[in-house]
Amino acid sequence: MQALYIASTGMMAQETNVEVISNNIANMRTAGFKKQRAEFQDLLYQNLRRVGAETSEQGTILPSGVQIGSGVMTAATPRIMSQGSIQPTDKELDMAISGDGFFQIQLPDGGTAYTRAGTFERDATGTLVTADGFTVEPGITIPNNARGLAIGVDGTVTAVLGTGGTATTIGQVELARFINQSGLQAIGDNLFMETASSGAPVTGNPGEEGFGSVRQGYIELANVNSVTEISDLIAAQRAYEMNARVVRAADEMLSNTSQMMR
Amino acid sequence: MMNAQLVGLSREVALRRELDVIANNLANMNTTGFQAERVAFEDYLMPRAEASAFQHRDHDVAFVQDWATYRDTQPGAREMTGNELDIALSPGGYLTVETPQGIRYTRDGALQINDQGQLVTHSGHPVISLGGTPILFTPADSDITIGGSGQITTNAGGRGTLQLVSFPSEQALEKVGANLFAAPEAADPDPSVRLTQGVLETSNVQPVREMSRMVEVQRAYEMQSNMMRQSDQMRQEAIRLLGRLS
Repeated sequence: MQALYIASTGMMAQETNVEVISNNIANMRTAGFKKQRAEFQDLLYQNLRRVGAETSEQGTILPSGVQIGSGVMTAATPRIMSQGSIQPTDKELDMAISGDGFFQIQLPDGGTAYTRAGTFERDATGTLVTADGFTVEPGITIPNNARGLAIGVDGTVTAVLGTGGTATTIGQVELARFINQSGLQAIGDNLFMETASSGAPVTGNPGEEGFGSVRQGYIELANVNSVTEISDLIAAQRAYEMNARVVRAADEMLSNTSQMMR
Repeated sequence: MMNAQLVGLSREVALRRELDVIANNLANMNTTGFQAERVAFEDYLMPRAEASAFQHRDHDVAFVQDWATYRDTQPGAREMTGNELDIALSPGGYLTVETPQGIRYTRDGALQINDQGQLVTHSGHPVISLGGTPILFTPADSDITIGGSGQITTNAGGRGTLQLVSFPSEQALEKVGANLFAAPEAADPDPSVRLTQGVLETSNVQPVREMSRMVEVQRAYEMQSNMMRQSDQMRQEAIRLLGRLS
């Protein structure tokens, strides 16, 4: 009785689905979060009667065969890299990317991570850092006497230094793009790492060909849509129940078989 | 008497297979582009049971045989995802996919871009264009638009046209897993196949139908095994009565 195992693959797949959905819902208010979606695919088929087999010497063939599937598996949980909505915060170091691209963050171990969460702060030395204190690349240091900090849509950081009234450029925000953004590996803390499937990063200034622009004083919210997630959750839960019901049916059929013997 | 047991057995085997098919349909309830399967039964006449030599002709003994599983090719519901690499195909249309085993076809339109910039399925097999080559993007490409008949354009210009095909007999396609189908012979591009971007075709499994069929299968199996038990009892009774010396 294969049905038992087939239904259990269905239950496992729906379990993964619920996990992915609950992670999306949990991160509904995480800045720069990109939702995931569980993708499923069918498993191998057993050919009991192969389609196209000859049924007579005159060359007549079977128009369709008997194929019994063996269940389902989770193929991937790709991230949906669509734009999240942009919320004004009035904080001068908050940045949102409108369009493609990631901020580059230097990790304590020297590696580079990428993020869409532009909730930046200034550390004790005036360097632009993330909420976790990791440096934003390329490093931007805001002098102590800087006033009227402005970040242009092209990423130019300007400020008025000293007593004068003219603004000076003190840094440039750079963005990185990937050919396959969905292939980035999430490492938590809103950070992503480059992988073999994401391809190498291409860096450039905001607003350049293919890059998004930077908005100062805004943050990008998660791209999670609560209505879709809840309806997906309901669907996943029911699907789980139905697969569990198949297990019970298979079990009862087996018990009927065993009752035939006395 | 023996035939009752054997006919019953053939029915039980068929019912078990039908339950397997239902279980597979329900397991793939959320698989993009999955097409539900049905089992067709036929009777199988056993020629030797025909005892035409008797005066009164015996009934033919008919065994059950699962003759085919066929796919329900009705389109599944359309789910709006808004993702630019998600596409849904019109009924009967398939994407052409290049795999190490050869050309395969799929209705699963949840596409991705791999590290080389190729448009791939989520198993990583490239989707091919009309020219038979994979569709390539460069890192600078953004705003991917896929037109109704498969033309792909980005902000940097055209990137080729998806090879959309259809088949004279969809049932002749063989499922090979991973949402892919193998065709007996290569299909020609069909300009009448249309697609919609930002939409996925969900599995066309109808849970209500599967559940009721499952109940039906379960009860039929129960009746069948009851019948087999009764015929066994009859035989036992016969042995007991007839074997008694008077």
